[in-house]
Amino acid sequence: MQSNRMGWILLAPTLFLLGVFGVVPFLYVLWLAFQRWNPFGANPDIVYIGADNFRRLVFDAEFLASVGATSGFVVFAVVSELILGYFLAQALMKNFPGKAWFRTIHTLPLIVAPIVVGSVWRLMTTPSIGIIPHLLDEWFGFQMNIGTSAPTAFLLTIIMDVWHWTPLVTLTLIAALVSLPPDPFEQAQIDGASKSQIFWYITLPMIQPAILATVFIRLMDALRTVDEVWMLTGGGPGAATRYVGLHIWKIVFPKTDYGYGATISVVVLYLTIVVCWLLYVALLAPRNK
Amino acid sequence: MSFSLKAGASALAILLSAGAALADDAFWKKAAEPYKGMTLRGVTEATPPSNYISDVIAKEFEELTGIRVEIETTSWDQMYTKAIQDMEAGTGIYDMVYIEQDIIYAYLSRDFLVNTTQKLADNAALKAPNYDEANFTTFANYFKGDNGDLFGIPMEAFIKLYLYRTDLFGDADIQAAFKEKTGRDLVPAKTHAEYAEIAQFFTDYGQANDMELWGTTAQAHTGHVASWYEYYESVAPTFGVYNWGIDADNNYAASVENGGQMNSPEALAAMEWWLSMRDIAPPESPASTWTEVGTTFAAGRAAQGLVYGENAAWIASDESKSRVVGNVGVALPPLAEGVMADAESGAGYIGYYDGGAFGIPVTSKNKEAAILFLQYMAQEEVQPGWAVAAPRITHTATYEAPEVQAMNEELGGYYDLLRDQGYLFAGAPPYPFHAQVREATAPIFFNILLGEVSPKDGLDQMAAAAEAELKNLGYRK
Repeated sequence: MQSNRMGWILLAPTLFLLGVFGVVPFLYVLWLAFQRWNPFGANPDIVYIGADNFRRLVFDAEFLASVGATSGFVVFAVVSELILGYFLAQALMKNFPGKAWFRTIHTLPLIVAPIVVGSVWRLMTTPSIGIIPHLLDEWFGFQMNIGTSAPTAFLLTIIMDVWHWTPLVTLTLIAALVSLPPDPFEQAQIDGASKSQIFWYITLPMIQPAILATVFIRLMDALRTVDEVWMLTGGGPGAATRYVGLHIWKIVFPKTDYGYGATISVVVLYLTIVVCWLLYVALLAPRNK
Repeated sequence: MSFSLKAGASALAILLSAGAALADDAFWKKAAEPYKGMTLRGVTEATPPSNYISDVIAKEFEELTGIRVEIETTSWDQMYTKAIQDMEAGTGIYDMVYIEQDIIYAYLSRDFLVNTTQKLADNAALKAPNYDEANFTTFANYFKGDNGDLFGIPMEAFIKLYLYRTDLFGDADIQAAFKEKTGRDLVPAKTHAEYAEIAQFFTDYGQANDMELWGTTAQAHTGHVASWYEYYESVAPTFGVYNWGIDADNNYAASVENGGQMNSPEALAAMEWWLSMRDIAPPESPASTWTEVGTTFAAGRAAQGLVYGENAAWIASDESKSRVVGNVGVALPPLAEGVMADAESGAGYIGYYDGGAFGIPVTSKNKEAAILFLQYMAQEEVQPGWAVAAPRITHTATYEAPEVQAMNEELGGYYDLLRDQGYLFAGAPPYPFHAQVREATAPIFFNILLGEVSPKDGLDQMAAAAEAELKNLGYRK
């Protein structure tokens, strides 16, 4: 009993902070999702409108388009980061000249603020003055214009995200690979297993928890991407890169449609939880079986 | 006049001016005494005029009064986000906020701002002897409430004007080539057809001579509202489409069918003309906001263009940033028939009169100290140096200051244009729903720019979207 009380006392500050900064804002957003509130409307008051915002959301073509674009962005970015991160982790497990230097350089993007990443990529990709369009034109005669080509802008947001976040995946997977016991690998080699068999039946299952954790982190981060993309494309051209985080930002801040913005936030949170749960089940089900 | 007489007169003048300065200093010190040690916080857009406040005026004020002033200069979007969130939530973080002319109506509708006229009338001890609202240019009227009181102290004002390269327009060979091709003299355009002809000529000229030169700028970003603004504030009015094509007196109608102009033949002509200019502008144009347009012109990549006045000074005079120093001319934008007559009669306008003020949020906890700073900022003595550092003029007398006159020469007569013909330009329409309608229509606008929808269909959709948003907001019945 005594230890229970002490446990609660020790936990209290954390629970308090979690409640104030996590639970209360969430409940507020949830409540707001059922209100109409635009401070610059003819009636700036908060008005309860039931599920009207949710009904509006279902038929909101802009929102649905942003969900579609976000899905594509998340899938391509996270999968690319996972594959690239794994190969880089494997490479960094080996010794080669300049390894320490390469590892440091490779990790640097992680410490750069997203808004700076977006600015730098914008400078590099702006038509006429950016180094990337310049080199593409000079080497391949390819006219790259991020302001007019939706596929180019979409692809660039993915490349930027991969550049920024692959080091995180690499570091996580290096930690997982380093911690693997050598015995199963030695046993498999003695039994004559090929490299691919070792990868599929030993390495992959053993680092699966690390992969799962990394994918969850990157998935949630990618779903709420705002600043990098805002700096690079502003959501354009058109709505090609208006990912859901940016869409919410535009609804809530410039448009000051707080009630509807809260509704989208709640729905996106729900979708994120569902996607993570599905992924968790999909990745762990074969293992449990 | 003998030397001794001159020396005596000079000494007297110095003594008198020193006496006046001492009297002024004495006022600031005495009035600020109760607030000494206090810190005022302001948020504004990172522009040359705002940077001058932060770097120069705030420091002078602090030195004189002991009141610390922290001015946060940030991006346009962030500035609004921070200011509105602060005032809406009533947190009182900021004692001063930048109010761009187009947002004042939204702020007034929400009673966000302190009535500075009333505040000074109620607190005579805070009223600086050299502060007088009558000193401001007529631009101050945009910051007045229905009762004529001022709710923001003007800190910048400029017009979006037609800049052209005097070196190119004055080159004898180019003039001859232009005459040969078009049959007319190469002078700044008065009509859209002339402008288009010049633009096409220089784009062709650049290509033929392997130069990085195009005929016009275009603020045509396909994902940033800067392009929306260029069309509605600077292009559509020159075709006779005013106030975004929304008729506030007619139940906020936007579509022609309901009495608006947003999808009118004039709006369509404006859109098609502007798109055709975008197509012969430098390749960075679809990714250009107001900042990049200034940079494009300063880099010598465009022969002419519509450029915000706030960028005119550094383009024309700062050799560390601009390649066209000394080669910049200013003119009124090209106009459709009847638009000048509309502007002169007050029924319309020919372009955008931009600018902003500093206001005090009602949620500020340091209103008295803040109003002292705003008056300090609005002194006549402060204005010339500020106008030279950034091309903004908010006081009538500033035009006559010698340093401003000198700057006017460098700017190709920009200040003369602002003073003499500024009345032909207008600020944004008095809509409290400014950002809301903009955001509701901008996605369709971007689709027009990308060619995903035709200009005609796009304008029809925008008019419908504007009316739907106005209905949703409760303005349109």
